[in-house]
Amino acid sequence: MARAAQPTVSRALRRRETVSGYLFMLPSLVFFLGFVVIPMVICIFTSLTDSMMNNTKPVNFVGLANFQKLFQDEKFLEALKNTFIIVVVSVPVTCAFSLWVSSAIYKMNNFFLSAFRCIFYLPVVTGSVAVTVVWKWMYNNYYGVFNYLLGPQGLGVIEKNINWLGDPRFALGCIILILLTTSVGQPIVLYVSALGNVDQSLVEAAKVDGATNFQVFWRVKWPQMMPTTLYILVITTINSFQCFALIQLLTSGGSGTNTVMYYIYYTAFKLTSTAGHFGYANAMGVILAIFIGALSALQFWLAKER
Amino acid sequence: MKHTKKILALVLALSMVFTLCAFAQADGVEPAKEITLWTYPIGNWSNEEVVNSLVGDFEAETGIHVTVDYLTYTDGDDRVNTAITAGNAPDLLMEGPDRMVAGWGAQGHMVDLADMFDEKDLEEINPTVMDVVTSDDGSVYLYPLVMTAFCAGINVDAFKEAGADQYVDLENHTWTVDGFKAAVKALYDHFGSTAVAVYCAGQGGDQGTRALVTNFHGGTYTTPEHDGYTWDDPENIQAIEELAEMKGQGLEFDASLVGGDEIALFYQGVLKIALCWSIQQQLDPNLAGTGEGLTMNGEQIAFMNFPSQEGVDPVLNGGIWGFGIFDNGDEARIAAAKQFIQYMCDSEHTAEAVRQANYFGVRSAAADGTVDLSGIWDDNETMKEFNATVVPNMGDYYQISKGWNQARTAWWTMLQKVGEGEDIPTVVAQYCAEANEAAAAG
Repeated sequence: MARAAQPTVSRALRRRETVSGYLFMLPSLVFFLGFVVIPMVICIFTSLTDSMMNNTKPVNFVGLANFQKLFQDEKFLEALKNTFIIVVVSVPVTCAFSLWVSSAIYKMNNFFLSAFRCIFYLPVVTGSVAVTVVWKWMYNNYYGVFNYLLGPQGLGVIEKNINWLGDPRFALGCIILILLTTSVGQPIVLYVSALGNVDQSLVEAAKVDGATNFQVFWRVKWPQMMPTTLYILVITTINSFQCFALIQLLTSGGSGTNTVMYYIYYTAFKLTSTAGHFGYANAMGVILAIFIGALSALQFWLAKER
Repeated sequence: MKHTKKILALVLALSMVFTLCAFAQADGVEPAKEITLWTYPIGNWSNEEVVNSLVGDFEAETGIHVTVDYLTYTDGDDRVNTAITAGNAPDLLMEGPDRMVAGWGAQGHMVDLADMFDEKDLEEINPTVMDVVTSDDGSVYLYPLVMTAFCAGINVDAFKEAGADQYVDLENHTWTVDGFKAAVKALYDHFGSTAVAVYCAGQGGDQGTRALVTNFHGGTYTTPEHDGYTWDDPENIQAIEELAEMKGQGLEFDASLVGGDEIALFYQGVLKIALCWSIQQQLDPNLAGTGEGLTMNGEQIAFMNFPSQEGVDPVLNGGIWGFGIFDNGDEARIAAAKQFIQYMCDSEHTAEAVRQANYFGVRSAAADGTVDLSGIWDDNETMKEFNATVVPNMGDYYQISKGWNQARTAWWTMLQKVGEGEDIPTVVAQYCAEANEAAAAG
């Protein structure tokens, strides 16, 4: 009898453990469903309608009309182009710069290593509004520190002040520069950690076999850091695609700096007198999510191939 | 039969009582004891200390508690829109007709206040203002409190130093277009830096750039019916071309500034001419509390009409502000909000409410003519001078035109493109067409 009862007790225990597990998971699950899954579903559904903020009229299903309109909208296409420029420039530069800094500092003693990590991580933990206000002051056309340094009183490189944020030749580059400073902190910390975890016996074996420093890095260290690199690439790509606060606070999408994220915000919240603006903004959100998903998948695939 | 009659009588009596109760409730709704007020920065109505004092007096008199929230022009619209969507809009909002009449009012979110105006009120309130706040269907979504005309400002000390003061009439606060051009050149020649910025980073303060352009050659901005935009008329194109010719010679189309930034730079003495000026700024430049009509460095500031052609009166943009009530479906809160409006806009307390806004009252008297408001600024020479030389030039209040939100964006984007050197007639036509599309859709 005791033997026959054993599996029943075990099943009951297992069930209880499973229930406990789900109960522990429940708070996170509620948040995940409430703040990720359900909004995603609402976003996709709304993108197929002419929904409008503050609307008292019934919402109409318009199929893919919003998506068709998107690709004829010059402003959206310009925003998409700018977003891709930001991603294409900032992702490789962030990765390369972080790797370079990490390689230079990871062998330092603990004091200097911690100091550098703090310095590079500081912009990440500083509020984005505070960071932006300081940069705005540095870029200022009339009394900014950049114009002072480059102007006749400084290096004398420029004759007249440059309107950094008001001139489309410079504005997007200025935004990317700020984005870089706020993006490199985490990759540096991660790369320092990854470099510290590289198997030293493999490095020593390669050196004994006559490998150069470059070959040691490329053939031994780099493959071991690939998971870290993949994570950094994906995170940086997503962050770059979602560039919003800098645009809103510095240029309001002007001077050739409009991005998809800002245009979504603008369409959703500023164009309240335009019919269907909610549906249209959500359609942009869907397109942006597709691009982010596709690029991340590509990065995973490339990393796997290697 | 006897019982049946008794029951019938009782039912009839009860129904009468209930009906009377219902009417009594509908006619004299008991006002709520708590309401919310959101206010945009309109003079000292953005100053917590001042507002607390005004609201505190109202609370003491009526027992209605008012919770105040302060909005900025940067994110105020977003906050209100989100609140409307979420169903928790404030009871009261203090702003202008462009948002409350043409925006949220037309969308059906605001309470019609037409029943608050009797014949006496209509006699006392400026008829132009009343016309602006009244919708085509006769609804009134804004109870007006104050008004002004937006103007320009000059740094008088800098003008004198550069010898540019000869181009301005400081007595009448006027200058001609040629005088403006000559003054900018003189300032640039003397100081070697930008004297005036046609700011265009966003819509903030765009009334200044609009007035500069339309006054240059007498152009118009909208149709008289407010159903379309006319800023692509030849006069405005000529004006923009002439302004573009001044680039690099003391004038810049600056896409890194909005009106607030321009005011700050003018206050700091960096810019010598401000296009985003007002009597409120004149009384307290940059709202810094450092002295009436003075820059940060103590230089004298003079308010000015916008430059116009010789012999032509300038036409200035007006500003009107007041209170509106969001229809949250709660009659008791609406009644309390109306009581607040009555207290601030039509009672013996109106003079103080107006003065704290640093603008002019929209009515000559209040409280059924028992309170004279015509002389509330008699003790202030600056206000008297402004009222005599600038306010009379206030033109059509066209900010209630259809598609206004999108038209504003089209305007500053167009100025950016002009600043970037694009073909002016093409770019003006393109963005004016965009605004007209919005007007047609709206």
